[in-house]
Amino acid sequence: MEFSLLDPFLWETVIQGLLFGGVLALLSLGLNIIFGVIDVVWICYAELIMLGMYTIYFLYTDFGVPLPLAFLAGILVVAVLGALLHHLVIRPILHTEPINQLLVTGGVLFFLQGLATMMFSVEFRNLGVSFGSVSVAEMYFPVSRIIAFSVSIVAVVALWLFLKKTYLGTAIRAISQDRDVMPLMGVSPRKIYLVTSALGGGLAGLGACLLVLLYDIHPAIGLTFGPITFMVCVLGGLGNMIGGFIAAFIFAEFIALGGFYAEVEWGYVLAFVFFIVMMFIRPQGILGSKS
Amino acid sequence: MTFTTSVRRAMWGVLGAAAVATVPFASPQAADPIRIGVIYDFTGPFAAGGSQAAAIGTQIAIDLINEKGGVEGHKIEAITADAQSKAEVAINEATRLLDQEKVDLIMGVYSSAHCVPMAQKVDSQKKFMWANVCVASAVFKGKNLQYVFRGQVHSDQFGWASCTFLNENAEAKLGIKPSDLKVAIIHEDGPYGSGVASGNEENCKKYGMNVVLKEGYAATAPDLSSLVTKLRRARPDVILHTGYNPDITLFLRQAKEQGLKWLALIGHGAGYGQIDKLVATFGKDADFIYNVDPVAAQLLDPKTLAPGLGDLTAEMVKRYKAQTGAEQVPPHTSMGFNQAWIFFTDVLPRAIKTYGGYDPEALRKAALDTDIPVGGTIQGYGVKFNPPGHEMAGQNERSSPVVMQYVDGVTKIVWPSAIRTMDPVLPLPAGHAYAR
Repeated sequence: MEFSLLDPFLWETVIQGLLFGGVLALLSLGLNIIFGVIDVVWICYAELIMLGMYTIYFLYTDFGVPLPLAFLAGILVVAVLGALLHHLVIRPILHTEPINQLLVTGGVLFFLQGLATMMFSVEFRNLGVSFGSVSVAEMYFPVSRIIAFSVSIVAVVALWLFLKKTYLGTAIRAISQDRDVMPLMGVSPRKIYLVTSALGGGLAGLGACLLVLLYDIHPAIGLTFGPITFMVCVLGGLGNMIGGFIAAFIFAEFIALGGFYAEVEWGYVLAFVFFIVMMFIRPQGILGSKS
Repeated sequence: MTFTTSVRRAMWGVLGAAAVATVPFASPQAADPIRIGVIYDFTGPFAAGGSQAAAIGTQIAIDLINEKGGVEGHKIEAITADAQSKAEVAINEATRLLDQEKVDLIMGVYSSAHCVPMAQKVDSQKKFMWANVCVASAVFKGKNLQYVFRGQVHSDQFGWASCTFLNENAEAKLGIKPSDLKVAIIHEDGPYGSGVASGNEENCKKYGMNVVLKEGYAATAPDLSSLVTKLRRARPDVILHTGYNPDITLFLRQAKEQGLKWLALIGHGAGYGQIDKLVATFGKDADFIYNVDPVAAQLLDPKTLAPGLGDLTAEMVKRYKAQTGAEQVPPHTSMGFNQAWIFFTDVLPRAIKTYGGYDPEALRKAALDTDIPVGGTIQGYGVKFNPPGHEMAGQNERSSPVVMQYVDGVTKIVWPSAIRTMDPVLPLPAGHAYAR
């Protein structure tokens, strides 16, 4: 395929990549804040998103709840689930080996998948809502993806302001920098961890609001996003929200442009090769610190 | 139809009807049950993509046989296993069923990605496998399997059917000569999608069509926008698509959002066989989609089949609807039922009576003796397995798919013309979301 900067299909691909990057960026936010503060990786993060999608779906289709309220409920439900996950599962193993934490959250992943299968069956469900697309000079951009992109930008800015400008945010940052000293200064790690987990869950719920507009809902939807979200976080520097944000767009552009110039599969191959190379060059991630 | 064919068809019909209405296989004394390891995907994305529907079809066949006393006095005992939509789980379950549960044979299997390695593994152990749903030609091609048999259509035939349908209709319906027709082939990149796509490419090129794009993708890919963009650039008249359920809905959604238009979209089974789900997701946009598949038995005119098979189909449909509450019965139910029924009413009785039991060797010999004429099964096609040494040894040489089209949520047969129930709607009518 010839390369031309005047090719509208090329620019459509670049912008589609940016929009998809917005989706990945939003998904990586919650996982990063959890790891950055609590130092635990929620392997089951995408399954929390799946439960949020089901919450929104049933509220909207079965109970007739207006979509904005269903979204709000979805965020709250997953925030509560995040807090519960921490209280019931993470807290008892907080001081054990990292591998134990990984295995436990991995177990929660299978538990949640099984639970969703039993409760909601294996059927594919769909919200049936379409916002159409915007057409500019032969290029088409889905409104749902523009919304996802915009929300992810707003979420990053809001989260940054929250962490920088509020007392709670300052406490969260302080705990993430030195979890041993902060208790001596009156900050309760237990409360901060619980709040952070709810915040991470809430961000997963926000991700659910966007994904439910783009994808079918089924118990295995987490398999589509779990691994790629985790890789984005690692590429950006696990626990580094800005790094994850940048990595999401790099990853998405590899997928989009690789898919455009070669084949869709090659886009993913190139993205994963880039990931592996970066792990050799900067194992701590793009913006991660060596410590 | 020749006299001989008519007589044979009638004989098979009598056999089918007798199995429903009487107790032909029961003997006075209860014998040991025949233990069958039935593998399908009950969880994961394949479950709702047709695997569960096929599993229900197989179970209905087992229930019907057992209600009539079993086969030669042997009840059928199904030991069900969930492959979880994962190839490694499917293989492990097959191993567990054969080595620990000591089942007499393996039956079922939805995904070709599971079927290809499982067939080789089972065959190398000299155990018997009866594949019900998976379609990849790669299961048999060049493998010379001895103990694995499949009555089901294979993927090369899917590719042939859609291209032949286009070849016969392009000029008359589209006003485009086949040699001027632009075709794009997109597919999930497992053995199933790749197999069908290869058949598409080979046959469409044979008819002189212009294949403007051929590309695979992972069924779990979260984004297909670059593929849609390339399709818009290539401007194919017809898109030939093979995929599972999540990727098909993602493709159709992104295609609509990105303004992709076509004259016809032809799907090839799996997700495209789930008309109720397509309609639930896309409403009127699902109208006029084509699907190449073994026919759903209830769509066939019972008069074209051997006597009694219409009643058998009606019983299957009744039980499926009662169990699921569904309005539509997908082709996968017929596949799961039909293959199991052929095994229970043809192969297994012969193995016991002629070859002295149901060990792998007896089953293999009995399967190779199978000779069911066209019209002798509920899905219309006949059954005769390619012998050892054949390039497709173990594959049914008489299987054939049909081309269906969805109109107002109803499935119609549009090809082959001998059994069609509707003239194909081609191109997409103006005003349709995907119409040019």
